[in-house]
Formats: sequence, structure tokens, C-alpha cells
Amino acid sequence: MDEPAVSMGLRFVGGDAAVIDINGDVTAAAEPALTSAYEDAAKRGARRLVLNFGGLQYMNSGGIGMLVTLLVHASRHRQKLAAFGLSRHYREIFELTRLDEAITICDTEAAAVAAAS
Amino acid sequence: MTPDPVTPGPITPQAAAHRLASFEVASVPGNEREVLDRVARAVAGQLPPERLDRLKTAVAEATLNAIEHGHGSRPDLAVGVEVTRQADELVVAITDHGPARSGAGDAWPPECPEEPDLTRKLAGEQSPRGWGLFLIRHMVDAMDVVTKDGRHIVRLSMRAGGA
Repeated sequence: MDEPAVSMGLRFVGGDAAVIDINGDVTAAAEPALTSAYEDAAKRGARRLVLNFGGLQYMNSGGIGMLVTLLVHASRHRQKLAAFGLSRHYREIFELTRLDEAITICDTEAAAVAAAS
Repeated sequence: MTPDPVTPGPITPQAAAHRLASFEVASVPGNEREVLDRVARAVAGQLPPERLDRLKTAVAEATLNAIEHGHGSRPDLAVGVEVTRQADELVVAITDHGPARSGAGDAWPPECPEEPDLTRKLAGEQSPRGWGLFLIRHMVDAMDVVTKDGRHIVRLSMRAGGA
């Protein structure tokens, strides 16, 4: 089970807002895929990053650590983060870890794009 | 499914523990996914969905800890998993044999674990990682750790049925 069970798609949704569509497992093994999507978005001028967790299957502590690292990079480059598509369980984990204070959690993509402004 | 009785201990007035599942997985990161799926099947219908999700997260974290820190991700070493129910208490016991926990500083959980703090992590004062024990403690009703005969056993307990 060494293969990362995740894919990350990148799409721009107008202006400087990029959505990263996450499908699969968010674990430490997903870091290369997330880093690649993030760097691609940054190179293309994204200032607002929206994480779409609608396809999330499983997230563990390694994945949470990876999101913290993403937050550090985004903060350094003055990019804002928002997210949508989280299940109630993973919303609870975002609240517990206080990730929801740094990544605005929304119900819809449109709301998340607006929240990252 | 009719649960198998666990090897009996002394007879007490308490309800007997029944084994719902018992299995092993190789110490390969990612195998915690198989464990949480099998545990979920073993306790199906005995926890409301939100508490089942919490148990699954705790089981995955404890298993990953056994794989990575107990066995150093050596696939030749097996992590043991046993799921039992006694009265209204569901218990998942995750066992490693601890060869990777060789030093005094390798005890898990550590005696004085540093609470993960997002603010400090973002400031670079803590590692971005280190959320596993924190998650386990917040996800289950109780957790205890026993080291016995070279085995390191993490027991995760949830009251069945309760909200």
C-alpha cells in the first residue's frame, strides 16, 4: 500500500482563485501530490486557494500535518485558504485541531471562493 | 454474527467479554485503512454513525503508531487487533511487539506529551505533525496503554449505543 491513494486536480475559477479537487486519502503519502498542485497554482498566480474535500475518503494525522505545512507556505506567500465538502466528522477534526481558524470552512464552492478573498 | 467467547478468565458476576474480531496486519503504512474497515464491520450497528467515525479515526491512528513507531514499518512484523464487547463497552486492543521502541525516550504515549498547538506549529515552534495521540484522546471515551511481556497494547474504549 505504498502508492498514494489520492489524486489532486487543479482548476482556476476566475481571477486568482484556484480550486484543488482532492479525491482519495489525505495522509502523509499525499504530500507530493498536494505540493505539486499548490506549486502549480502559485506559479499561475493563485492568491486564493480553495480545497475541495468532496472526494475525501480518509484523512489521518499525517494528512493534518501536511495541511499545516501547506498553511505555512500559503501564509509566507500571502495566499488565503478556504475549504468546502468536508463531512461532519472531518469538520469536527478541523475544529478540534483549530485548522478551521486558519482555513475557512464553507458549505459550497462559491462560498469558499468568496471567503478566500 | 454470533460473537465468539473470549478465552475465559475468572468467573465474575460481570457480563462475559465477547470477541467480535481478532486479526493481524503487516506493519506497512496504509494498512491502518484495512484495520479501520474491519473494526467498523465488527461493531456494525453498535454505535451511532458519528461515534463510529470517531472510533475509526482513533483505531487508524493507534494502528499507524504501532506500524511506524512500534515496528518501524517492518512488513515482517504483524500488528494484532482484537475487538471485544463486555456489557455496553466496546474495546479495540491494538498490539505491537515494540522492537522499534528501544530507547527510554521512545515510550508511547510519552509521559509528558506536548499538546499540539496550531499557532506554534504555524510559527515553526512545533513540528507540523504530532497530532495522532491528540486525536485518539479526543475521539474515544477512554484509552489506556499496557506494556506486558514485550508487547505494547493500546486499548480504545467506547460505550456502545450512546450519543
